[in-house]
Amino acid sequence: MAAEFLEEVSRRSGQRFEGCYHCLSCGGGCPVVEAMDYNPNQIIRMVQRGMREEVLGSKAIWVCVGCFSCLSQCPNRVHIPAMMDTLREMALEAGVRVAEPEILAFHRAFLGEVRRWGRVYELGLVLKYKLSTGKFFEDFSVGFKMMAKGRLQLLPSRIKGEEQIKRIMNGTRRLR
Amino acid sequence: MKVGYYPGCSLHSSAQEMGESFWDLMRPLGVEAIELEDWNCCGSSPAHSTHHGWALNLAMRNLLLAEEQSLKELLVMCPSCFVRLREAARQVQSDPEKGEQVSKALGRPYGGSVRLKFFLEMLRDVGTEQMRSLLKKPLKGIKGALYYGCLLSRPEWITGFDVGPYESFLENLFRTLGGEVAHWGYGRQCCGAHLGITKPGLVSSLVDRIREHARRAGANCIVVFCPLCQVNLEMRGRKEPALPVLYITELLGLAAELPRTTRWLGRHLVDPRPVLREARLL
Ligand code: SF4
Ligand code: SF4
Repeated sequence: MAAEFLEEVSRRSGQRFEGCYHCLSCGGGCPVVEAMDYNPNQIIRMVQRGMREEVLGSKAIWVCVGCFSCLSQCPNRVHIPAMMDTLREMALEAGVRVAEPEILAFHRAFLGEVRRWGRVYELGLVLKYKLSTGKFFEDFSVGFKMMAKGRLQLLPSRIKGEEQIKRIMNGTRRLR
Repeated sequence: MKVGYYPGCSLHSSAQEMGESFWDLMRPLGVEAIELEDWNCCGSSPAHSTHHGWALNLAMRNLLLAEEQSLKELLVMCPSCFVRLREAARQVQSDPEKGEQVSKALGRPYGGSVRLKFFLEMLRDVGTEQMRSLLKKPLKGIKGALYYGCLLSRPEWITGFDVGPYESFLENLFRTLGGEVAHWGYGRQCCGAHLGITKPGLVSSLVDRIREHARRAGANCIVVFCPLCQVNLEMRGRKEPALPVLYITELLGLAAELPRTTRWLGRHLVDPRPVLREARLL
């Protein structure tokens, strides 16, 4: 069982994780580690041990922003950001309870804009994110200032290849 | 020199000043750019964070379009878009299965003829001499904390940028413009990226730390190279007093006295004009 989970994560990410000797260099440089429930190297250890549910249900996999700090400091070039990408995808496929629903709501709102227009219409993105999380009044004044300064495009524009975009994004699976 | 131009979503909206200032610079630099027709969003973090196939195909559609439009080079403005496009192209070229996936989704295979180029690489190719020839108003009195963010300072084998870490090139460029480089250790810190929306408290503490260090180094502005860094550094932070955050291209435009400069400068959430006036640049 343990080997199976590790094998799947390795295959799907195209990376190997046996090389990690838990020196902790990765977590030291991670800018967002304080918002994680497990350090990046703990996630590796949990993957090695086959702790599928704990890993896929963790906050850490969603909080990671893919900044590559860990990878550039790792003596073994263990590709943590690629692992995190794979783990999020697996978490969505498995339908587990996502530990950071707001981050997922943001990704969903963003991809919804892409599916609809082909590009991201930032104002629509922010409104959709706010509606789905109920945080409507947070940042109200910043948003207003951005609009007043003409920094948010007021109307979306649609690209010509919208059918192609829909084909790409409807394909096999929608984001749950 | 005729090149394709991929602006990316933020340059059409929140980062207009970066797009406009770069666009206006290209002509005097002798670069003829054409916007990639019908380009789409590269998918950015949300796609690669949740769905590998979408990330791959959204990025590759742009490369296929460039190929159809006979563009040999595609100039990419945002570091994050660049890494997404480069990574997709790399996967397609090294893994036949990925190539197959792209042909199936997009109706034809990618021939691999488009060279992706990050905008800073173009500035490097233009060379210091030609840059100097544009200089009308040296940026004297501007002490900038150069903020590379997460991507520009990472090793090239990770990001795929053609110039290794960009730091020394950018320091030289900034000095060529007449500015003074502030010495600080925070230029490689990540700005928190999309957590700026979902975890404002966390990102504010990152931004406060960055501002505090920039100020301690004596900087009167932070110089950025990425639209997402720019927004987070202006919008977040709670405790530390705000510092103006300018794109390198805006500063280039200011030094070259490009006509639309004042328009970009008026769009900032943290108004940079008092600092610029003090330095007698406005
Ligand atoms: S830096 Fe590399 S080897 Fe060290 S703990 Fe992190 S992943 Fe493991
Ligand atoms: S890539 Fe993710 S885990 Fe690694 S340092 Fe950045 S945020 Fe932390």
